[in-house]
Amino acid sequence: MHMNFDAPKPEIKVVHGKNMTYQKVVDEVLHGIEEEGIPFSVEELEESNPVELAFRGAELSHLGVGIGITENEVVLHFIKLKEDHPIFRIPSYSDEATLRAIGSNAARLVKRMPFKNLDNTELS
Amino acid sequence: MIIAGIDIGNASTETALARYVDGKPEFLCSGIVDTTGMKGTRQNIHGVFASLKQALEKAGLTVENVDLIRINEAAPVIGDVAMETITETIITESTMIGHNPSTPGGLGIGVGVTVDIREVNNCEKGDSVIVVIPRDVDFEDSSRIINHAVNNGIFINGAIVQRDDGVLINNRLVKKIPIVDEVSLIEKVPINMRAAIEVAAPGAVVEQLSNPYGIATVFDLTSDETKQVVPVSRALIGNRSAVVIKTPAGDVKERKIPAGQIIIQGVNKKAQVNVDDGAEKIMEAIRSVAPVEDIKGEAGTNAGGMLEKVRQVMSSLTDQLPSAIKIQDLLAVDTFVPQTVKGGVAEEFSMENAVGIAAMVKADKLQMNMIAHELEAELGVKVEVGGVEADMAIRGALTTPGSNMPLAIIDMGAGSTDAAIINRAGEIKSIHLAGAGNMVTLLIASELGYDNMGLAEDIKKYPLAKVESLFHIRHEDGTVQFFDKPLDPRTFARVVILTPNGMIPMPGNFSLERIRAVRREAKTKVFVVNAIRSLERVSPTGNVRDIEFVTLVGGSALDFEIPQLVTDALSKYSIVSGRANIRGVEGPRNAVATGLVLAYEEGE
Repeated sequence: MHMNFDAPKPEIKVVHGKNMTYQKVVDEVLHGIEEEGIPFSVEELEESNPVELAFRGAELSHLGVGIGITENEVVLHFIKLKEDHPIFRIPSYSDEATLRAIGSNAARLVKRMPFKNLDNTELS
Repeated sequence: MIIAGIDIGNASTETALARYVDGKPEFLCSGIVDTTGMKGTRQNIHGVFASLKQALEKAGLTVENVDLIRINEAAPVIGDVAMETITETIITESTMIGHNPSTPGGLGIGVGVTVDIREVNNCEKGDSVIVVIPRDVDFEDSSRIINHAVNNGIFINGAIVQRDDGVLINNRLVKKIPIVDEVSLIEKVPINMRAAIEVAAPGAVVEQLSNPYGIATVFDLTSDETKQVVPVSRALIGNRSAVVIKTPAGDVKERKIPAGQIIIQGVNKKAQVNVDDGAEKIMEAIRSVAPVEDIKGEAGTNAGGMLEKVRQVMSSLTDQLPSAIKIQDLLAVDTFVPQTVKGGVAEEFSMENAVGIAAMVKADKLQMNMIAHELEAELGVKVEVGGVEADMAIRGALTTPGSNMPLAIIDMGAGSTDAAIINRAGEIKSIHLAGAGNMVTLLIASELGYDNMGLAEDIKKYPLAKVESLFHIRHEDGTVQFFDKPLDPRTFARVVILTPNGMIPMPGNFSLERIRAVRREAKTKVFVVNAIRSLERVSPTGNVRDIEFVTLVGGSALDFEIPQLVTDALSKYSIVSGRANIRGVEGPRNAVATGLVLAYEEGE
């Protein structure tokens, strides 16, 4: 049987704009994904609309899950949704817990686990 | 002439409107509204009025057209429910943490002395340590400190973390260790004590710490000490991660709460039973002294308090002295209540035994006459109190196509379960039992640990589904339903209740199967038990098997599964039973109201 070893790794795509100045925001989002144990990769694209970035990420991701991050906003998108209707969007100045929660929720979308509240507490 | 039959029930007030032509009733319309106030009290009048108005509007009539209103001699039965926990688990000097953070870190078992991570550099080379990491220390600092300490020859064998950081810390460690995270009350973790920590692989459960000998092995316990840790290991069974801390006086106890005695006074006999003996013993005692005159609780105990509370509520509702209120039936049900473990560190729960009790009180009959008088004054229409509720219900039930005398009915309401039987000669015998829909709601709420009775009511009333993606759900029976619009993210991957007003996501981590089992068990414990109990009491021979036909009426007979559960259980006694269909159109509703109208024809 022929196996295609070149198939891309299943991972969540985190996409940000050019000349990024908000590394801390990106890092917190990544920590959220990491804690949930799902692979991810980061990409840079020429684009300033966070929803657009997130949707591009979802298109690039083999899991269909993308996060777009700009100076102003962090957006979680899923490939099966309409482009202008992302799942979550939060401001980039959100606190650490919220930024992590959106990362965790990207992973939970893949794992099919209930989302966290955006203050990083479990929804109850 | 036009007659309205109005039935004031525990939960709903129903109207049947009919025109009598040549002495034969011709039914026009019916009405149904929620009962206002407790059944049998003055507040009912508003509900009566609304229900009547609803029926009249449908028929295009006004109050002036009505010649006679007949209300039920509301079987003066009022039910109330209560719950008493009879065991509790207490951890003295926190000795264990057993919880299931969704993402613990690392793998395996580690043993050492608990040390605050900020103090770890004061440890000697060669020490075995479990670090305790409070909220203020983030995962980057934590992992750096641990790596540094390990380089200095300190054995860091595990970590207890307050934040949800377990995986992040573990990914940054040179030497992997088991990490339990999301320990909310970390300040309660005793420092400088020997501790063992275990994290199982995904999909597995802790093995060493859920085994008393496993704990004995890691802590070098004697046989006597091993005996003492049994509750600890028992409490950890089924967890993916666990911590056990050995403190000198640490202990986990399971304690029986003395709940007191219930005294059942029968007409001829008297029985006493301990509430903590459980529901079975209580029900046995009630059966042994039947018919019951009054039930009391031992003064100064929880049982006493519970029954006296019911008595107080009834006495204030009916304007009678508490001593005049007689509790004439009681349904006790064994159940489990999740309770926070006293002295726990991570808000651990343990399932404690509890007894749920529904009590039924017979109140003053005159209240109905008072309601009739007030109605008559307000509406200017003659109002009379019709016959006994159960008789009316049977008359109504007999309008079900395919039914005939002899027939038994089980009226499954919200507050009480009533049964009546009519023989070939037309003689009717009836009884009232405690425990119905409200009891089911209470059991569901307590077993799932919800304070919210509205939510429990919804679980009782509607089926469940699991949201499997943003676009589809899987129903209880496994069928899949797709949606063309994405579902609310709050319902994603959750169990939801499919109410007519949309999906309600369920809090907590219960599986659909678990909630469904709790729901069906609660319904069985109340309605199946009461169906058999009530038929036993009305059967001419005292044997359920000697009843042939049973129809189910009342609000709870509308439920999507209660009639099936009862039908199934009764079929084992070769009884034909099923949901009634009053007048061929009303389903199990409106039996008493219809009976009230029909009884007029017979001149009663």
